[in-house]
Amino acid sequence: MPKPSDLLQGTLDLLILKIIARKPLHGWGIAKRIQTLSGDTLSVGQGSLYPALHRLENQGWICAGWEESDLGHAAKVYSLTPEGRKQLGRELKSWNRLSSAVQLLIQNA
Amino acid sequence: MRIIRIIKRRAHSLLHGSSADAELQREIEIHVQQLTHEAMAAGMAEVEARAMALREFGPIDQIKEKCRETRRVNWIQDFVHDLRYGLRMLRESPGFTAVAVLTLALGIGANTAIFSIVDAVLLRSLPYAEPDQLVLMFDVPLKQPDALSAISYRDFSECRDQNRVFSEMAGNAFHDLTLTGAGEPSIVNTADVTPEVFSLLNAKPLAGRTLLPEDGKRGAAAVAVLSENLWRSRFGSNPGLIGQSIDLDMRSFTVVGILPASFRYPEGAPHQDVWISVMQDPLFGPLTSAPGVRLLGVIGRLKPGVSLAKAQAEMDTLSARLAKEFPEDSGLTIRIRPYRQVVVRNVKSALLILLSAVGLLLLMACANIANLLLSQATSRGREIAVRIALGASRGRIVRQVLTESALLGLLGGVAGVLLAAGAVWSLQPFLPPDLVRISSIHIGGPVLGFALLLSLAAALGFGLAPALLATPSNLQTNLKEGGERTGQRGGRHVRSFLAVAEISLAMVLLVAGGLLIRSFALVTSVNPGFDPNNVTEAEVSLPQFQYSRPQQWTAFSGELLTRLHAQPGFEDSALAAPLPMDRQGAATFAFSIVGNPPLPPGKSTTADYATVSPGYFRAMRIPLLRGRFFSDQDSASNPNVAIISEALARRHFPNQDPIGRQMRFGFPPNSNVPREIVGIVGDVRDVSLSQKPGPMMYVPFAQAPLYGGEVVVRSSLSASSVAATIRQAVHSIDKDLPVTDVESFPDVLGQSISRERFRTFLLGSFSAIALLLAAVGIFGVISYSASQRTHEIGIRMALGAQRQDVLRLILEQGAKLALLGLGVGVVFALLLTRWMASLLYSVSATDPLTFGAVAIVLLGVAVTACYIPARRAVRVDPMVALRYQ
Repeated sequence: MPKPSDLLQGTLDLLILKIIARKPLHGWGIAKRIQTLSGDTLSVGQGSLYPALHRLENQGWICAGWEESDLGHAAKVYSLTPEGRKQLGRELKSWNRLSSAVQLLIQNA
Repeated sequence: MRIIRIIKRRAHSLLHGSSADAELQREIEIHVQQLTHEAMAAGMAEVEARAMALREFGPIDQIKEKCRETRRVNWIQDFVHDLRYGLRMLRESPGFTAVAVLTLALGIGANTAIFSIVDAVLLRSLPYAEPDQLVLMFDVPLKQPDALSAISYRDFSECRDQNRVFSEMAGNAFHDLTLTGAGEPSIVNTADVTPEVFSLLNAKPLAGRTLLPEDGKRGAAAVAVLSENLWRSRFGSNPGLIGQSIDLDMRSFTVVGILPASFRYPEGAPHQDVWISVMQDPLFGPLTSAPGVRLLGVIGRLKPGVSLAKAQAEMDTLSARLAKEFPEDSGLTIRIRPYRQVVVRNVKSALLILLSAVGLLLLMACANIANLLLSQATSRGREIAVRIALGASRGRIVRQVLTESALLGLLGGVAGVLLAAGAVWSLQPFLPPDLVRISSIHIGGPVLGFALLLSLAAALGFGLAPALLATPSNLQTNLKEGGERTGQRGGRHVRSFLAVAEISLAMVLLVAGGLLIRSFALVTSVNPGFDPNNVTEAEVSLPQFQYSRPQQWTAFSGELLTRLHAQPGFEDSALAAPLPMDRQGAATFAFSIVGNPPLPPGKSTTADYATVSPGYFRAMRIPLLRGRFFSDQDSASNPNVAIISEALARRHFPNQDPIGRQMRFGFPPNSNVPREIVGIVGDVRDVSLSQKPGPMMYVPFAQAPLYGGEVVVRSSLSASSVAATIRQAVHSIDKDLPVTDVESFPDVLGQSISRERFRTFLLGSFSAIALLLAAVGIFGVISYSASQRTHEIGIRMALGAQRQDVLRLILEQGAKLALLGLGVGVVFALLLTRWMASLLYSVSATDPLTFGAVAIVLLGVAVTACYIPARRAVRVDPMVALRYQ
């Protein structure tokens, strides 16, 4: 099995916001979701997931609470705040701009 | 909304930091558990599965630390934590803490004390409203723009009435008058002013009123304003005093007001007791109508928006008009100077030099503490390496070490402020009285702020290098080597640099101190031209309204001297005015030599003047070089005679015999009286010990009597019994005469150099501290490096090196540092000491003797400081040394 490539710096925040925008989720679930959604090509170093979650929480984009979960016990579940939803919109827009620019570059290179 | 959420989060993290930590722990644990379950599901044993999960998750402590850092309140928690940790570290090594705090306290204390004087003298605003509008005015000869003199009453009133640049102008003079009637007769310091001075300086009376413009007119009723001090001490704070009369020089004045003790003009002048109109003064009143007598100090307040240049231009025009109109003013102009500049001029350079000196001292203290911290940091290398391995960032460690430094700095600052308060308090009696109003020197807000800034700056200064060196770039080496060598290589260079810097700073301070001490020694050992030992002086003044005629003055002085001569134990007694080192300064008058061609206009020859009784030269042991002393035959009815000093004879009678020649001079109005020179006496330093003697001319008291004078008595009896006898003799003639300022002449000389003594003492103490700090500094460096080299020394000795060789090895290292420091120090000293040339007396700022002596002392101290660790190093048993790690 090829080693999953490292997540592009800065896109982790976007991924987290996008994932919990569908439904609130705990850290383990977010990590798993990133891995499965990307067909196992992306793996989140757990080392960077939790600091990113805490940073987003401290920036007010997401909030968290301890809830019963599918893991069989209480887990810290993250959900998007109204401001976080707007932030997601902004990040998506800038991501689209960036990726289409890169796409263009690669095609013409 | 988001802001509120963020603030809530931060407050939560701050207040519930430990529960947030527990949640984080739990969150991570859940994740690891899930990873474990996954691995077990794939068929692994539980223990193995957990180990793999942990590996996959990554370094938990580092991740936790990263999460915590996102809270952004870390720094507060960290700070509190660092503070606690720092306090524990300081408590754990009380020796280090004591030495560091004491060193810092010396540095900060010295700075704070000097700054409190600077604050009072140079920075704090003057106690008058809008002080920057105040200017002083002086008469100045066109040809000598620096020879400032007072202004005549007529010129003052002309300028006051005609100028358009000053909102107000006032004149003042000082005179001692005799206050009689209420208790012992006493001398009161009287300010003779024009009434504008009170409104100009915005002086509000405590009771009654100040002088009004009508009080300043010629022929007005005599009124006086009293100081609060005199009112309390002499009149028991009697509220009914206003409207009553007091006697000054036996003349009645009506008291119209009391001024608060806080009012003083000029700032820093000796306290004044009484203010009267200059017109009412028995001496100056009549002289106000003499156009050539310049007696008033003049102050003006610039109109708002008027620049100094504009005011000076106006005064130039005015004084040109005066010079054209009045012959007395030809060749003169009026110069204005900002009040503040005149007041601080004398002390500014000395204070700035002292401030720089204490600044250097603080630098040395910082270097010393940096050295101490470095050796500490080295021994803490392992602890720090472990913390970095556990996830602490480099910045975090630097912050922690700096917090400890700041703690040390603040402790040192507190101790320093206490030290400064003690120093200012205990030094007060020794402060030169004319420096500044001593009571205004106190440790107030600005001074405390200065001390705080200084402590933090110092902490940053001595803490930064150890903090940076404490965080090594290569972690593995540190852990492996047990931290013993942490920062050693970089550290050794920094430590050597610090030692060299300290020695060079000490060199600068010692040279400065040495120059002042040498200069002071020269001043105190200078021959003043007379013998002050066993001489007592006392001032007797005759109230002018009672003793109004010169014949009365002569009669009184003759009677007094007869009685004093009759006293057993009094070797010689005489009367003179003024005496050398008189606080009011020397009396300088113009003279001309009969038979010489007249001097060109605008030029004059001057000499210091004294009127003396015949016994004066014997009493003061001033040698007769040619001719004769005065005798009792030189009375008012006989031809006028004079005695001149050697300097006058040499300068104005080159290659001639002055004896028998005539000079015209005298106390105004007798300035044109011809006097025959009958003798030449030795030169006397009459202005100050540090000023070379100038030309002097003496006249017999009987031919130029004054309303009083200084009694000098040479006697081997104690000064106090001499004083009592003088008092008794004076009071047996007139019980209402005050005898004041009784002092032994050596004391007078001592006071005349109090400024020099004070700054020499201060700078001398600073250099002593500097020497101590330098010794401690180099001792620390060498003993540390010797202990680091124990292993090497062991090998050398095992290979047959003799003790002397090892001793030499270590001493050489110290001497090298010391010589380097000396070299740098000499260069800096040469560059810096020239700023203090104005404080030196007959010593050059680059005096090779001082430089050489200081270098030898410093080298000696440095090598001695190295000798102790060197001895310790050679005593080590080679076997122990070899095993030493």
